[in-house]
Amino acid sequence: MSIHESTLTAAKSQTSRSNILAKLKKEVSGADYTKLPEEVGYQYPVLSKAEQKNQFISLLEANHAEVISLEPQQIPTVIAAVLKKRGINTLLGGKDSPIEKHLTALANSKDDSISVQYYDFNLADSENKERLFNDTPASISSAHSAIAATGSIVLWPTEQEPRSLSLVPPVHIAVVEEKTMHQDFASLIQAQQWHNKMPTNIVLVSGPSKTADIQQTLAYGAHGPKELIVLLVP
Amino acid sequence: MTVNLHNPKDSKYDPNESKYAKSASEFRANVSRDLKNDELRSNFRGAMDYLMDKRKAALPNEDELETLREQCKLIKQRCLLKLPSLLEQLEQNLEANGIRVHWAETITQANEIIATLIQEKNGKTVVKGKSMVSEETSLNDYLEDRDIECLESDMGEYIVQLAHEHPSHIIMPAIHQNKKQVADLFADKIEGFEHTTDVDALIGEGRRVLREKFCHADVGITGVNFAVAETGTLCLVENEGNGRMCTTVPDLHIAITGIEKVVEFLDDVPPLLSLLTRSATGQIISTYFNMITSPRKNGEKDGPEEVHLVLLDNGRSQAFADEEMRQTLQCIRCGACMNHCPVYTRIGGHAYGTVYPGPIGKIVSPHMLGLEATNNLPTASSLCGACGEVCPVKIPIPKLLLRLRSESNKPANTDGHKQVMKGEGSGRKKVEASIWFVWQLMHKHAFIYNSSMWFATRLRKLMPAKIGVWTSVRSAPKLAPKTLHERVKVHQAEQHKKLHKKQQS
Repeated sequence: MSIHESTLTAAKSQTSRSNILAKLKKEVSGADYTKLPEEVGYQYPVLSKAEQKNQFISLLEANHAEVISLEPQQIPTVIAAVLKKRGINTLLGGKDSPIEKHLTALANSKDDSISVQYYDFNLADSENKERLFNDTPASISSAHSAIAATGSIVLWPTEQEPRSLSLVPPVHIAVVEEKTMHQDFASLIQAQQWHNKMPTNIVLVSGPSKTADIQQTLAYGAHGPKELIVLLVP
Repeated sequence: MTVNLHNPKDSKYDPNESKYAKSASEFRANVSRDLKNDELRSNFRGAMDYLMDKRKAALPNEDELETLREQCKLIKQRCLLKLPSLLEQLEQNLEANGIRVHWAETITQANEIIATLIQEKNGKTVVKGKSMVSEETSLNDYLEDRDIECLESDMGEYIVQLAHEHPSHIIMPAIHQNKKQVADLFADKIEGFEHTTDVDALIGEGRRVLREKFCHADVGITGVNFAVAETGTLCLVENEGNGRMCTTVPDLHIAITGIEKVVEFLDDVPPLLSLLTRSATGQIISTYFNMITSPRKNGEKDGPEEVHLVLLDNGRSQAFADEEMRQTLQCIRCGACMNHCPVYTRIGGHAYGTVYPGPIGKIVSPHMLGLEATNNLPTASSLCGACGEVCPVKIPIPKLLLRLRSESNKPANTDGHKQVMKGEGSGRKKVEASIWFVWQLMHKHAFIYNSSMWFATRLRKLMPAKIGVWTSVRSAPKLAPKTLHERVKVHQAEQHKKLHKKQQS
């Protein structure tokens, strides 16, 4: 690829830009934006916190996720049990993440069958990619918020809990605090004023990875986690 | 000048260099071929019944559905009315976030941009998330010609690519194949695959092959469901996680989308998303909703170093220029119109010969490929109206089909009116036009009407028993011995007589 070709492609892109915009502008130049019809949304009934919690749990379970309601101090033992049941002995988590204290507790517990590892590497390195794809059976991350109406957890990846942490390992455990639950997606965006501060990436997750691409038959674990386990703490 | 990359000899079908212009022009032959394929028909019947039931179950509240449809229609219409300024705003915000924006008027230009971006990074392997726009541009062929391996990673797309086919449905690309056919395909193409029709095992095999690819690919290419102008955010809807893989693991992420996918506000997204997934697959939300606002920032441990967005026109600005046909661009690509279409269900997605099949394909493809190649498509409808009724953004598809039929049958442009679309008038047939001319004469002048009908009924024995395609599946119509007018006259005379007698007695 010569520099010449790149510049040529860039110049063409600029020409296309002007052509496309000119064509579009010609058609709507006189449009009056003050007289747009009112866009009326549907008024959903307001649910109590308890109703929201029930809705959240039942929708996630219907989507094949496992939801465990528990007290914060139970987290380390429940994680250990969840992993043992699946014959897993290593767990990848985020250093300095909001849930690090639970991971430290798990690592320091008398039961030393689970080894806790931290995502302290850079994925750009191919060795680290191999490790994440092939030698990481399970991961844990905190959830930023939760949405009751669709049974979704909202992941807001950070330096401590990167995007691939919740994506690549076959089992993903997410810790959700009840107080971060919102009735629906629209009210969450409003409440947290997302317009002002979008991070690199946000993902709404509503179950384990799945597909129905072969004869409409549902299969879990298409490319992402095969299992999603949500730990719901008050 | 246009150049056809696949077969230069077919350039007469070639308004925008697409190989699909040729296959679309063979629509009638494709239909005959696929209607005879019983396995294909049963695969589609089963899938469409499934998808219709799922949608119905996910939208039990009529009031909610209709409110949302109206709201989503108005959102998309507002965004289209502001389209040029929203595109500028989107570009400005994306660039501010570190995402580079590129513009392409034609499919070849889009492919060139993408190939250049990959070659600048010395990229050799690409993993692709689902993108119908990249099917429009035949991106895979273009990159393979330049020795760049391009692997589809959506399970359905992966199957279709292995079979050297193209998607037959915009949401479920491999819907035309059943699990036995997929198993045969895997056994044929994947080394060491042990034949099984167990769907979990088949998906497991796809997972194994593709995770290997995700781990090593240089580039990820995806489509976009919504591009938010307000924040400069690219949104992707998916269930499998391959979209997240393509946008997270490789160093370079290139997204490609049509110019109509931009929405003004972040607040526009929730209602559109809610109707999109419920209309498409009956899910209240997809497993993943992925919002990308920047490349990897300093200190972040993963994510692509570079993110690019390619905005493609490919005939969209032509549709935009006509206020009625602009509604075509409201589409959010849910596929509900095809799921509910009695024609699509019977002929399947490949018969259309276009990238987008079904009702939406019939109204959008003419703008992409020209009416020369696609003028048969709008005629393949019974105008039952199902597509318009289920459309989440209320595109009046049946009305647009009629409009395209009339564009296709327009007389030659002699009075110098503004050309509405490429290929207008290309479907006009001399015989049909003269029949309508005579029809018009007859109905304007009572004398011509009455005398020709009198002759026609008297000479009805001369009516041919075979009238072209019409009688291939029907018997020829027979004229009555007398015209309706004559019979009414006789009847009225009799009534008059009866009345007269009554009055006398």
